[in-house]
Formats: sequence, C-alpha cells, structure tokens
Amino acid sequence: MTALASHETSRTRATGASLRLAILLFVADPQWLVPSTIAPIVFGLVSFELFRGEGPYFLTYAILGAGMMSMWGQTLYGSGWATGQDRFLGTLEPTIQAPAPYLYVVLGRIIWNVVAGLFGGLIVYLVVVLAAGGPPQLPNPLLFVVLFVFVMVTLASVGVVFAAAFVYSRYAGFIQNVGEFAFYIGTGCMFPVVLLPFWTNPIALLFPPTWALDALRYVSIPGYTGFGWGWEWDLVGAVAVTAVYAALAGSVFTRVERHVLETGQLSDY
Amino acid sequence: MSDELAIEVRDLVRIFESRKGFFFSEKTRTEALKGVDLLVRRGAIFGLLGPNGAGKTTLTKILSTLLLPTSGTVKVLGRDVVKEATWLRSRIGLVLGGERGLYNRINARENLRYFADLYGIPPTERDARITEVLERVDLTWASDRRVEEYSRGMKQKLHIARGILHRPEILFLDEPTIGLDPKSARETRKLVRSLVADGVTIFLTTHYMFEAEELCPRVAVLSKGKIVANDTMAGLRSRVGGDRTIEVEAYGFEDPEVGRLKGLPGVSKVTGEDFGPLMRLTLRVRTDETTPEHVSDLLPGHAELSVRERRTSLEDIYLDLVEEEAQ
Repeated sequence: MTALASHETSRTRATGASLRLAILLFVADPQWLVPSTIAPIVFGLVSFELFRGEGPYFLTYAILGAGMMSMWGQTLYGSGWATGQDRFLGTLEPTIQAPAPYLYVVLGRIIWNVVAGLFGGLIVYLVVVLAAGGPPQLPNPLLFVVLFVFVMVTLASVGVVFAAAFVYSRYAGFIQNVGEFAFYIGTGCMFPVVLLPFWTNPIALLFPPTWALDALRYVSIPGYTGFGWGWEWDLVGAVAVTAVYAALAGSVFTRVERHVLETGQLSDY
Repeated sequence: MSDELAIEVRDLVRIFESRKGFFFSEKTRTEALKGVDLLVRRGAIFGLLGPNGAGKTTLTKILSTLLLPTSGTVKVLGRDVVKEATWLRSRIGLVLGGERGLYNRINARENLRYFADLYGIPPTERDARITEVLERVDLTWASDRRVEEYSRGMKQKLHIARGILHRPEILFLDEPTIGLDPKSARETRKLVRSLVADGVTIFLTTHYMFEAEELCPRVAVLSKGKIVANDTMAGLRSRVGGDRTIEVEAYGFEDPEVGRLKGLPGVSKVTGEDFGPLMRLTLRVRTDETTPEHVSDLLPGHAELSVRERRTSLEDIYLDLVEEEAQ
C-alpha cells in the first residue's frame, strides 16, 4: 500500500457526497419517508378547514400556512436533526475526522432538506387544490414560485445554525424541540407576524424566514399589508439577513468544532 | 524531528472538565493524561497497553486530531496535530470500532463511497479502491448487504476498511479485536500484519496481552495517565525481573519456605496470590541456574505441590507494572 500523496479534498465533493447520502438514507428509512409524505396531506387538510370561508384568498392562506408548516419541519428541523442522527449513530466522529470541512457536509444535507421541503409544499398545494376543487387565485404566479423557493433558502440558512448546535451539544435536540413552536409562530409560518404583539417583531426580524414569508404574502394576497414596507424591501431584508447567516456559518462551525475538540464530547449521544 | 518518527509526544497533559447537576452544578476535573512522553518509529506496530480508564482512547483521539491537548506538544508525521489537523487528517486513519460509527441502513459499499468522497479520493479511482479494501477485509461477498445485517466482526472489518480506504501512512487502531470471536480476531491480526508489510505504521491499543505480544515489537504501558514503561518485549522482561517465570502451587506456604525461594540464584522477585485454600507463588528468574526441580527440592512435605515453568508473558509484565504504579 502506498501512502496517499497529493490529493486535496474538494468541498464540492463533500457536499455532493453528503447530498447523496441524505437521499440514500431518506429512501432507506421509513421514519423519514412516511412523515414527509403523509404529514403534508394532514397539514393541507387541516389548514383548508381552518381558513375555509376567510375571504377570497383563503386558499392561498391555507397553502402558505400548511406548506410552510410542512417545509419548516423538513428543511429547518431536518437540517439540525441530520447532525443529531450522526451523533446518535456514532458517525459524527469519523465525519469530523475526515479532512472535508463539516460545514460542507451539512450543506449537502440542507440542499436535500430544501428539496424534500419543496416536495412537501407541492403535496400541500395538490391537497388543497383537490379539496377546494380548483387552484387559488395568484396575482403573480411566477413571483410566487420564486419567492416560495427563496423562503426555503432562508429556512435552510437557519438550519445551518441548528446543525451547528447539534455538533456543539447532544442536548441540541431538547433545545430545538422547546423552541420549535415559538420559532414557527414567531417567524410567521402559519400566520403573519404583524398579528403578534409588537415586541415580538424585532426578534422575529432577526430570522431570515420572517422577511421572506412577509414578501411571499405580499405577492400572493392582494391587500396584505404585513410590515408595511412592501415586498421589495422584505426581499432586501431577507437577502441581507440570510447573507449575514451565511457569512457567520463558516466561523460558527470553526468555533463549534474547536469547542467539541476541546471538551471531547463528539462521541456523546 | 527525525523523518524516522511517526509520532512524537512531549509532556502531554489532557484535562477534562465537566459539570454535574443542573441547578447546583458541581465542576469536576479529571486529569486523563499527566505528562505523557512518547516516540514511535515509522513502519512498525506500536502497542499501547493499559487498564480501563488509563487514558488510551484519550491519547489515540489526540493523536488522530479528534481531541485537543490541554498542554504539551503532539506531532504526527512531523506535523502538529492542532495547527495542521487538516493536512494530517488525509494521511492518518482511525478505527475506533464497535457497533456504532456506520450508517446501518445502507450497504458497505455506499458507506465507503461516502467516506471516499470526504477523503477526496479521485472519482476515477474510487470504485476500484472500495473494491480493493473490501477484498482486503474479506467483505466483498457482503458488500451489497445493509450494514444493519452485519455481525459485530463484519462491522469491525468495515471500520478497518474505512480506516485504510485513503491509504493512510499511519493507522490508529483502538481495541480492534474487542468483542470479536477468535476467528475474526485472528483475521484482524493477520490484516494488521499485512498493512505493516505495506509500510503503514500501526498504533494499536489493546486489552489483550497475547495480541500485543504477537503483533508489537515495542509496547508502552499507560497507567493512570502516565507511561510507566516503553520498551521492547525483551527490555520489559528484563525490567520486571526475568525472562523466566516459575509458578509453584500448594495449600499454603510457610514464611521460611518463601525466604528460601527468594534466596535461589537468579530469582529476582517472588509474589504470592491466594485462590481459596490454594496458594500460588510466582518467581521471576533471570538465569538458568534455578530450575523447577530446585524449587521442588526446597519445598518438601507438601502433598499437592505443583511446579511449572513458562516464559514471562506480557501479561505478567503488565500486571507487575500496573501493580507497581498502584503502589
């Protein structure tokens, strides 16, 4: 056996490998496959009944509410949980021990979670359309689709932070479970943030999905006022806050990795 | 540092700090490694022995960049494990073993492919390399089966396959045969020997003395966070008082009898153990002057006297060293 000489690990390959692994594990494990297809159907039906008769755009409300609930779980929660699974399986140590930076491994999983989240959103759309007997009225369908995907990206950016938390501590699952609904409501997944007490708004604006969801409602529901500064500024805000999250991600992972190597808790689960 | 050295450890200290309790938490501090010094040459198998909690896994994880030292200098392949961890990671392999550490829902080939990509093995070589290591650990026949269907021994082989997939220059094996059946353990040892033949340096921790004796020309004994011995087998035998061991068993010995045994030529040490009413005296003997017959002659009147001679084993050495350290 000759020793490895010169190859350097490719970050893109690490992300690609992680994406491929996420797909394989998703397909191989019914604990992911079943909830990610059945839960959106339930969310869609509940949301349809919840918003039925609430004005001419109730279908859009229903789709956004249920779609976000489904995608939030898949994209945000799933991104953190994938690292939690690594901890549980004992694969976190060999993965961190590999030369590829762990952030790029996490990115691969997040890409898959975004795709799976969009799949959930599509199921919700189909369920609501079938229940209502027709599609919702959308003033600008193309912009709706673009912003819909963008919401996923913002959710993914928060997912990176959750993933870092799972590397940091085995108790991240506990924190994520406790914060799940506060985050879900606080960022306006089910209903607009402006309906919440004013003091919650500045906190909510620290999270990219809050901005992106407000923009999405602006372009989907005529007459929606939201924060009052229009969807374009929402978009600027979402891009800016997401960029901050992305910029911080590398530094956060470096610090988190150093912390776990100092404390020696990588193998704890 | 000389190019001949694979590992160079100077005054390594590792302290773990943790908190117990939620509201009135208490800080605990454990010094797992207390000033370890160690040099390991390239191209050989180096054995690290020690009782549970001695610090073997801590040392292995520090050497393989999975844990930071509290103080001291640690170099592997001439590079600092803290400052040059990324460079090192592609050149060292680590096998922690056990039931965990693998993706159980997918097959062995997919597990290896994932890690091949993380290690940057060129895509053109990847599949051939996976086939090669699967053959090497004799898992080709089960490579398309899910890992959850694997026995403990098969999982261990897969751990090793992953550890050598990127052709490391040095391989850290932490208790590689623990929990394996004798056949699998023997195959693992055979594999380890073949890796050394290929020029890989092996750093092996084990509980099994016979394994270390069989594989390692040089061993270190770690006890309570300190290296208490680091030598060749011959050197260690000499250190504990002799190459030969004579064991005498009877239902009790008088003190004058023990005194007479201690006075025999070449006898460096006599220790005693009780097994219920049966007592065993163990004599370490440096020279050939004293034989079992001489011992028997000094112990007349014992109805059930058993005297046998054997070579001082690593287990004898290990127990002596750990006992010395405990005192």
